[in-house]
Amino acid sequence: MLLLHIGGVRLDVDSHKQTSWHDLTPQIRISCVLLMVLAIALTPNGRWWTWAIYGVGILGVLLASRVTFSVLLKRFAVELSFVGVILLGTLFRDGGEVLWQWGWLRITTTGLTVLGSVTLKAGLSLLLLNLLVLTTPIPVLLQALGALRVPPLLVAILASMYRYIGVLIEEFNSMQRAAVSRNLMSNRRWHRLVIGNAIGALFIRTYERGERVHYAMLSRGYDGLPHLRKMPKNQRRDILALTSTALLALLGQAVYLK
Amino acid sequence: MNVTMLPSELFSSWLEWTFQPYLALHIPDGYLNPPVCVVTWAISVGLIALALKRVEAEYKDRTVPLMGVCAAFIFAAQMINFPIPGGTSGHLLGGTLAGAVLGPWAGSLVMVAVFIVQGFLFQDGGISVMGANIFNMGLIGTFGGYYLFQAIRQAIGQDKLPGMVIGTAVASWVSVVVAAAICAFQLAISGTTPLAVALTAMVGWHVLIGIGEALITVATVAYIWRTRPDLFYRPPRKPRASTLHHLSSR
Repeated sequence: MLLLHIGGVRLDVDSHKQTSWHDLTPQIRISCVLLMVLAIALTPNGRWWTWAIYGVGILGVLLASRVTFSVLLKRFAVELSFVGVILLGTLFRDGGEVLWQWGWLRITTTGLTVLGSVTLKAGLSLLLLNLLVLTTPIPVLLQALGALRVPPLLVAILASMYRYIGVLIEEFNSMQRAAVSRNLMSNRRWHRLVIGNAIGALFIRTYERGERVHYAMLSRGYDGLPHLRKMPKNQRRDILALTSTALLALLGQAVYLK
Repeated sequence: MNVTMLPSELFSSWLEWTFQPYLALHIPDGYLNPPVCVVTWAISVGLIALALKRVEAEYKDRTVPLMGVCAAFIFAAQMINFPIPGGTSGHLLGGTLAGAVLGPWAGSLVMVAVFIVQGFLFQDGGISVMGANIFNMGLIGTFGGYYLFQAIRQAIGQDKLPGMVIGTAVASWVSVVVAAAICAFQLAISGTTPLAVALTAMVGWHVLIGIGEALITVATVAYIWRTRPDLFYRPPRKPRASTLHHLSSR
């Protein structure tokens, strides 16, 4: 959400490129990313070689997809700074040898292992998800969820939500500008009251907009059944990609199977 | 979706956002261990399936447009910063608000949609832990918040403004703090942070955040009460005094 505030948010900048990653059907791209994220996130702490193998694989896909690295890194840095705040709590814990102590604050080997593992897991997962949203148009991504057996009703709700986020943010900003220009935001108590009222007003407008949208949909022949766009069928290269992802995931885990 | 802001404002809001403890409620990938992920996902999938069924039965063909715009509304409302007592700034989580205006099922469905879009498209909260995020803020925050709110409202008076105000205030504060505490327990069970550290950090912050949540929720609910009370999930029955009385006396 910080991404939205900075204004540097850019989804879907690389979806027009033609690489072997872009040739995969959207649902297979989602499956590959989800499979890898699960494999990364569910690996027990301290298995560095597993993540090294995954990291090489991810780097390969990033290079192959020719994603714009400046955008990717900017998003990645912002998101990781989010993650960092919670991480500090993991450092100061008991267990293992004490490496450094200052009063009751001390850093132990266990603390460092947990910190390093969790950072790696979060970072690798973020890279993969960023790759997914930078290379796939969002509406297509949501429709592909439908092909992956997510209930069509939920997909339709998500798609309609995505369409109106920008509209509602713009509407709220205009309300806020109106309040600021009338000097209503100068005092903290007033500020809260005005924001609360604005959110209430935004809800009423939203509900009415929802009803208008509903009538508009009815007048265009909507019958209450959400229709999903037909997604392209999986081909041999898609099956191949999914298999190799699964193999990579297993290979990473197999390093510690002894 | 460019949010227009002045550079100085941008920087201060960047600081606030970066150090905003709220983000601790959106757990990133890798923080929870497999058992916690699996259990919370299983509960969340059940909640989503039930909520979809109940909402579709209630709203029929209005489901998609209404739930869509309401989810977008919560998403937009979550981006609004406001000062909270204690010096920092916070923003709405919106669970209790969604419950009060849309009811427990539609409210939690809307919150689920918000978490999916945040996690999937904006990387705000991880994929493997999305079950836990939905459990904490959708089930505890919205479902729990709604029933607490409704219980207090009925105790004070279903059709009175004080019942509404006190109910939302208490429910929104409690739901935020309880969600934070449960999140701390999940982190501790997974072995990521020791329980004492997690509890003090999370609950300590969210006691303050909860006050902000309660103030804004009350202001919002009071505004809707004054302008369109019929939009509440369980609207107050107002004695329609003047006109009816007038007609019957004629």
